[in-house]
Amino acid sequence: MAMNSVVETDFPETFVEEMEKLQEALPRRIDANPKNVEKGLAKLVLTLVELVRKLLEKQAMRRIEAGSLSDEQIERVGETLMKLETKMHELKEVFGLKDEELNINLGPLGDLM
Amino acid sequence: MKLYLYGIIDSSSMIRESICGLEGSGVYNIPYCDIGTAVSEINQPIPGVSKRLVLEHEAVAEKLMEKFTVLPFRLLTILDGRENVLSMMDDYYGDFRDNLDGLRGKVEFGIKVIWPADKVKSCIINTCGTKNRNAHLLDDSAERRFVREKFEQHKIDRAFREKADGYINAMDVFLGKFATAKKLETLRTENLLLSAVYLVTKDNQDNFREAFEHVRTARKDFKYLVSGPWPPYHFVILRRNSQPRRNSGLTAMFDKVILQPTLVGADKTWQ
Repeated sequence: MAMNSVVETDFPETFVEEMEKLQEALPRRIDANPKNVEKGLAKLVLTLVELVRKLLEKQAMRRIEAGSLSDEQIERVGETLMKLETKMHELKEVFGLKDEELNINLGPLGDLM
Repeated sequence: MKLYLYGIIDSSSMIRESICGLEGSGVYNIPYCDIGTAVSEINQPIPGVSKRLVLEHEAVAEKLMEKFTVLPFRLLTILDGRENVLSMMDDYYGDFRDNLDGLRGKVEFGIKVIWPADKVKSCIINTCGTKNRNAHLLDDSAERRFVREKFEQHKIDRAFREKADGYINAMDVFLGKFATAKKLETLRTENLLLSAVYLVTKDNQDNFREAFEHVRTARKDFKYLVSGPWPPYHFVILRRNSQPRRNSGLTAMFDKVILQPTLVGADKTWQ
């Protein structure tokens, strides 16, 4: 089979490994079959919760950096973020989900997170 | 009779060269106005995407690319009979025509770059992570410690991303010079610094490759992958601006088949 296009690299294994990481982490479809519908839905919901949690965290860091939070507010933010993170760990364990699984591939738009 | 679709081409003439498609069937053109759809007949269902299918599909697309401008179809695009193909072309002729005009004489190159993410991160941690400029956050409470750690991580992540953007901008100065359009994805994984596709005119292929060599030489500690020239998979866009010329009753089906952005390319126009 004559192929004019070529793929050139000195490190094929490294690239294959990296691309496989992407494939494993970001399935294009939500896996919701009768056997694991609960996990499929949990993955979707937790992905969205994780997105909101990360946004909250980023916003808090920006405000701390800008110096716009008082000591008391920093304390409260810390408490909230800690509790959120702990709760997320618990839920991930319950549904057997890893950190890298909590993402969604949005096709041409890229990954959600 | 099922027809496997390889791509839309800018010709309504017969394909003179013998091209072997899936199952060994000959590839031929179904003309519509001044364009056509390259197809071959299939007699049995195709179970799914396999390595062989990818290679055969790609080989046909590349063969077509030698003579025509091609809007490649997604793998496993199959329609039932010639009438359905004509109906689809009737409905989307305007879009196909626009894309063929925009992509004439252009090919796509893929570039991937892996960088030593661990080393970069260590370097950042050594230089800025240890300096505690936020003494006001130091406190014994767990909440404050948590915030402080998060804040340090936030700074490291930002520096990491800035470093990545810096390298990518530097590479893109050379590569972008010879491209008419591009799509860059940064840090899809920590190691995968850049995953990019560039649309390059056929006349500029050598210049683009030369620019890539320049980039490769500049940072020898990075790992590179270049591929192409491919049909412009990532630069075809269906804006759905074609008005169906007749009510074929098949539009809904084609909406599903044709308008998925990944079907014949992606979502952005060439520049």
